[in-house]
Amino acid sequence: MNITSRGKSKMGNVFVLLGVLIAVIWAFSPFYWAIISSFKLPKDTFTISYIPFFQFEPTLQNWINEINFRGREIWNGIKNSIIVSISASLLALFLGTMAGYALARFNFQKMKNKDIAVFFLSQRILPPVVMVIPFFLIMKSLKLLDTRLALILINTIFSLPFAVLIMRSIFKELPAELEEAALVDGCSRYSAFLRVLLPLAVPGLVATALICLAFTWNEFLFALVLTYKKAVTMPIVIAGTAHTRGVDFWYVATRSLFAIIPPTVIAIALQKFIVRGLTFGAVKG
Amino acid sequence: MIFNREKNVKFVFLLPAVIFILTLVIFPLVYSLRLSFCLARFGKNPIFIGLENYIDLLKDYKFWDTLKITLIFVLLTVSTEFFLGLALALLFNREIRGRRYFRALLTLPMFATPVAIGYLGMTIFYEEAGPINNILALIGGPQKVPWLSNPTLAFVSISLLDIWQWTPFCFVILLAGLQSLPEQVHEAASLDGVSGIQSLRYIILPLLEPVIVIVLLLRIVEAFKVFDIPFSLTGGGPGRATEFYSLFTYRTGLKYFNFGYASSLAYILLAIVILIITLFLKRVREVFE
Repeated sequence: MNITSRGKSKMGNVFVLLGVLIAVIWAFSPFYWAIISSFKLPKDTFTISYIPFFQFEPTLQNWINEINFRGREIWNGIKNSIIVSISASLLALFLGTMAGYALARFNFQKMKNKDIAVFFLSQRILPPVVMVIPFFLIMKSLKLLDTRLALILINTIFSLPFAVLIMRSIFKELPAELEEAALVDGCSRYSAFLRVLLPLAVPGLVATALICLAFTWNEFLFALVLTYKKAVTMPIVIAGTAHTRGVDFWYVATRSLFAIIPPTVIAIALQKFIVRGLTFGAVKG
Repeated sequence: MIFNREKNVKFVFLLPAVIFILTLVIFPLVYSLRLSFCLARFGKNPIFIGLENYIDLLKDYKFWDTLKITLIFVLLTVSTEFFLGLALALLFNREIRGRRYFRALLTLPMFATPVAIGYLGMTIFYEEAGPINNILALIGGPQKVPWLSNPTLAFVSISLLDIWQWTPFCFVILLAGLQSLPEQVHEAASLDGVSGIQSLRYIILPLLEPVIVIVLLLRIVEAFKVFDIPFSLTGGGPGRATEFYSLFTYRTGLKYFNFGYASSLAYILLAIVILIITLFLKRVREVFE
């Protein structure tokens, strides 16, 4: 619902619009800067030019260079990022959907449901740096350093709270009568869950997977510690070279966009679900 | 199954996730708690030294430095993000043509890969010809501001990127909270004789409290974790001006391979975060009722 600004002056509306405009420009300007820098030739970089075609001639050269000369490195990063984030998200979704269902439909006695929910939330509250040293040493002794498996496991841990708690809130909204009817018809709990409830939760499942995907894609600390060559993800590929070439705007911009584009595209797809996703189902949007 | 099937079903659903966490989280946590009581360096067997790491840490000026800047960072960024987010949410809580699209644009920063934003920040804050200094010069502001080489300004630059990235978080959630309030609330709030500030203070904010608790909790916790942007934008510098807690712990443990000391640092951070959560815990449990 909205406040209708009836009775307020036209001036008020102008101020509102101005505020909205400033906010949007503020939010979008770093993206805009990255995009125009990636289309600039090195010679145009240090000139004051923000409007393509008028102030500088946009070129695809940076993108072509990046793909031609450093394509293998980038492709390796993208491939690892895709494999790690999809596997971790699916694993988290699998475990989380089941646990979310249990929390939404059953009553646990020894530990109350809300305490179990907080237990899952606590994995997200845990500062990653607390886990990074033991995880490094354990993966080292298991000879799993620089493997995608190590990254998949750790990212599943940090995605699981999202999956459990979001799915819990989704199942809570679906009426229990649906499964009860199926149970009366002779279905087992499992098939009632699989055949009746799960199909209804598909939009929520997709959205949950997407939110896990975006955050796993962006994960940096563990990728930095656990990988060095074969299993490096996209954020590490950027980190590996950008420091030495910090002032090569065109180069940094093109590279950064390779990392930034996938999760922001996901964000657009997630719009309807974004509030519930970000608050672990605690606030409906 | 011998037991009552119905009774066991719930555990079949719940346990896989719980077991996964117990093995992959609790075990490493116990392992690093043990390490924090040891002298543990790379390639050597850990030697038990009791509380020595913790005692050293309290005498370590680097620890106090990093704790101080981290706390300032959390306070500064979270409060700015919250108030800006609230202001934006109030601004958007009305009929605006194309509001959906504006809101969507505003949510994008949250999802942008932080480490990439940090590197991009190196170009944005670049002293010689970066866009910020360009624009400042254009409007007659200060010339060649040393964003990344001055300790205070480097701290400010990181905070600005964090605020850019996470104000949208406060904004979308508070907006959702505002829009879920019943119509009468806004009607009551717009009655004659009640100023905007008063209605905000006495009507809207109290009703919004559960949402505010969630927003603040999640933001505070995330702000304590800050790592990617200082790592990529300043590398903790100049000097150690932006070496936030996670970065300091990471370096102690994985660059200087002082695992025991780093584990004790990590545990102190965990204790701080737990302390903060405890303040919120009752409210959080209510939310997940």
